Amino acid sequence: MKRMRFKFSLAIMLGLTLLLAGCGDGNGAENGAENGTESSRAEASEELVYASTKDILDMNPHLYAGSMPAQGMVYESLVENTKDGIKPLLAESWEISEDGKVYTFHLRQDVKFHDGEPFNAEAVKQNIEAVQHNAAKHSWIKLSTKIVSSNVIDEYTVQFVLSEAYYPALTELSMTRPYVFISPNDLINGDSKDGVSGYNGTGPYKLKEHKVEQYAVFEANEQYWGGAPKVKRITAKVLPEGETTFLALQKGEVNFVFTDDRGTDSLDVEAMNQLVDSGDYQLVRSEPMNTKMIVANSSKQGSPAQDTKVREAIWHAIDRETISKQIFAGTEAPANTLFSSNVNYANVPMKERAYDPEAAKRLLDEAGWILAEGEAVRAKDGQKLAMKLYYDVNSGSQKTEAEFIQHAVGQIGMQLEVIGEESTSIANRRSTGDYDLLMNQTWGLAYDPQSTIAAFTSETSYRHTTSGIARAEELYGKIDEVMVASDETQRAALYKDILTIVHDEAVFIPLTNGSVTVIAPANLQDVSFKQTQFELPFEQMHFDASE
Amino acid sequence: MKMRLLTNLLQDKLAVLSLAVIGLILAAGAMAPVFAPHDPNAVNMDLRYAGASWHYLLGNDHLGRCILSRLIYGIRPSVLGVLAALFVSVALGAFLGLVAGYFKGKTDAVIMRVCDIMLSFPGYVMTLAIVGILGVGLGNILLAFMLLKWAWFARIIRASVLQAAEADYIKFARITGVPSITILLRHVVPVVSADIAVVASSSFGSMILQLSGFSFLGLGVQAPNAEWGMMLNEARDVMFSRPELMLAPGLAIVLTVSAVNFMSDALQTALDPTLSKTNRKFREQASLPVKLRGKEVA
Repeated sequence: MKRMRFKFSLAIMLGLTLLLAGCGDGNGAENGAENGTESSRAEASEELVYASTKDILDMNPHLYAGSMPAQGMVYESLVENTKDGIKPLLAESWEISEDGKVYTFHLRQDVKFHDGEPFNAEAVKQNIEAVQHNAAKHSWIKLSTKIVSSNVIDEYTVQFVLSEAYYPALTELSMTRPYVFISPNDLINGDSKDGVSGYNGTGPYKLKEHKVEQYAVFEANEQYWGGAPKVKRITAKVLPEGETTFLALQKGEVNFVFTDDRGTDSLDVEAMNQLVDSGDYQLVRSEPMNTKMIVANSSKQGSPAQDTKVREAIWHAIDRETISKQIFAGTEAPANTLFSSNVNYANVPMKERAYDPEAAKRLLDEAGWILAEGEAVRAKDGQKLAMKLYYDVNSGSQKTEAEFIQHAVGQIGMQLEVIGEESTSIANRRSTGDYDLLMNQTWGLAYDPQSTIAAFTSETSYRHTTSGIARAEELYGKIDEVMVASDETQRAALYKDILTIVHDEAVFIPLTNGSVTVIAPANLQDVSFKQTQFELPFEQMHFDASE
Repeated sequence: MKMRLLTNLLQDKLAVLSLAVIGLILAAGAMAPVFAPHDPNAVNMDLRYAGASWHYLLGNDHLGRCILSRLIYGIRPSVLGVLAALFVSVALGAFLGLVAGYFKGKTDAVIMRVCDIMLSFPGYVMTLAIVGILGVGLGNILLAFMLLKWAWFARIIRASVLQAAEADYIKFARITGVPSITILLRHVVPVVSADIAVVASSSFGSMILQLSGFSFLGLGVQAPNAEWGMMLNEARDVMFSRPELMLAPGLAIVLTVSAVNFMSDALQTALDPTLSKTNRKFREQASLPVKLRGKEVA
């Protein structure tokens, strides 16, 4: 009996180990069998298998559920946003009328959708109309409220008529979604808002196979107008956990990882370095692209986050140097403003809020949040200074940051509950306003500042964040104004006012400047980045033949 | 009876050792502020992932917090919390089991059918459901334990009460008009207390594991409070770069659960003379009624 019990304890121990190993390896073991041949082929025929913390989801390019890196491979826009400004993509050239209201695009004539359908003015018109039929969904992109009509001039010329001059029009047309083109055959009754019947874009890759929550296979589009891509096959594999991804990288089951479209880095800095040290992988980091931040809900009734002084106190209580140095091992610089000064129009002098817990305490005292004798948490009129901070549960660094901040604000008498959730649920909280604080990031070089700022007014993005501040009406007025301002100096002045208001109100509490990180096979060449942090130019990458 | 229990227990070296370990763990948990060298929630980022040192005997975690202190404070939810939940559910189960087993008839039927309903759902699923309804948190998981485990205890205790109630001396007491409550307390409870102790102690280990499991999944104790399962989960993030971080909480769980199980085993032997070392074979058969444990520890 005793022996039996001993065996039983042993079994518990074993079980525990197996449970742990099982958690980590579940996906690997499951997919190992079917992909065993695939992964060995991955090395031979030079394909990429990238790990993604979540499924590619809905590939409908006119909606927002899908994975942007995947959509970026399949669909293309009329123009492209590059370092040197707007460049031609599906449109070879364009003209803008004197009053800024009419845009005429001359399309490339050698483009076909993946299903063989020619890409022409009619296809553009149908797509634009499909998007416009669902305009409410696209309120964050102001162009959707300005397009009056799209007209076919001739087979390869299309004209957009706007209700008023709108300077970011081209930038917004360059975005990964929604103004990209899907074969008209896939539209259902000319609409895409209730789904599409296929996913045929014009991009360098075609979606070949999609197993929900498992993997998606993209194959090179040999007829691609820009020349067939050299990496013939790209597989997106769902691996939600960092350590599974790490193992899969070591085993060669996946060979590519990058910061995903919600800013989730599933690998920590050390794991990345370990992979690079093995010699099989290279690490490529883009220049700083965005600002990681805490977004405070200024409009949530009864939440202490409504109080400007509380938000300022949080700002002062966070030691960004330590976050940068310890959590990111120096790979991300501390951020002190919503946009770093290299972002257009963002080089504006702001009141500095350094790390200063004493100042934070003073602010809270001033605001009436008093720390009673023997209490750990401040209170005002019987209400505790307690809030909830939501972070992306798949991002290891966000979790550590959240816990660090929890401790930091605890020191100044603020109680923070940190809650990890899936990124989709965080996005949902952002649009419904069901949060006090959440971790987020600005939208990246291509979108900053104009789209991020336009999103301040959008119900689906930062409306809840900004609508509770004292000068909200003024802010919204200025945002509307700046989007149609045609004069450069006027625009700069308006942006300055907008940025100053949100800075003074401290609704966006910056943490660090984030970049996109890629772990790629060591012999993969030309790993580069786009201006957006949401997609990668896979079509430019190729394996070094000498190895 | 009690003397015999004690002497029997003390003869078993493994039991003494297990008892000592459990006693030490409980004491350390109860007096955590005395034992812990540091504040378990004090963040010190300069010491992120620092190795063991004289100042921090087990090193520091991802926020530079003292692992030893967190381990000691972790006893509170991991062991003491479970112990409290165990007492409540055993008390409830014992009460209902006694009532059902002694009075039989309709009372028995009603109580047992309720038990059947409770037992027809897998424990893990029900716990998850309760957490889903009430939200994550240690309290809710312990509440789920209390709400779910009693049925199993009631079942087993009823079985032994049924046996005991057939005894002649109880029949005699009934006939002479001793009130039921007195019979129950004076004659039945002492007899079945052995079974209660064994059943309770054997559940203890599995409940510790379950709680740690739920915390590992992020459903139990919430940050920044320490709990063993959660510490394991935190260590998992750096499983390949710093595997040693899994050791401390992992070993703590293994040690505690093993000690509890050895003790439960010894207790069974000590309480039931038929299970003495001399007739091992017989013992294995005899111990079957209270040995449904394999099922319990999923």
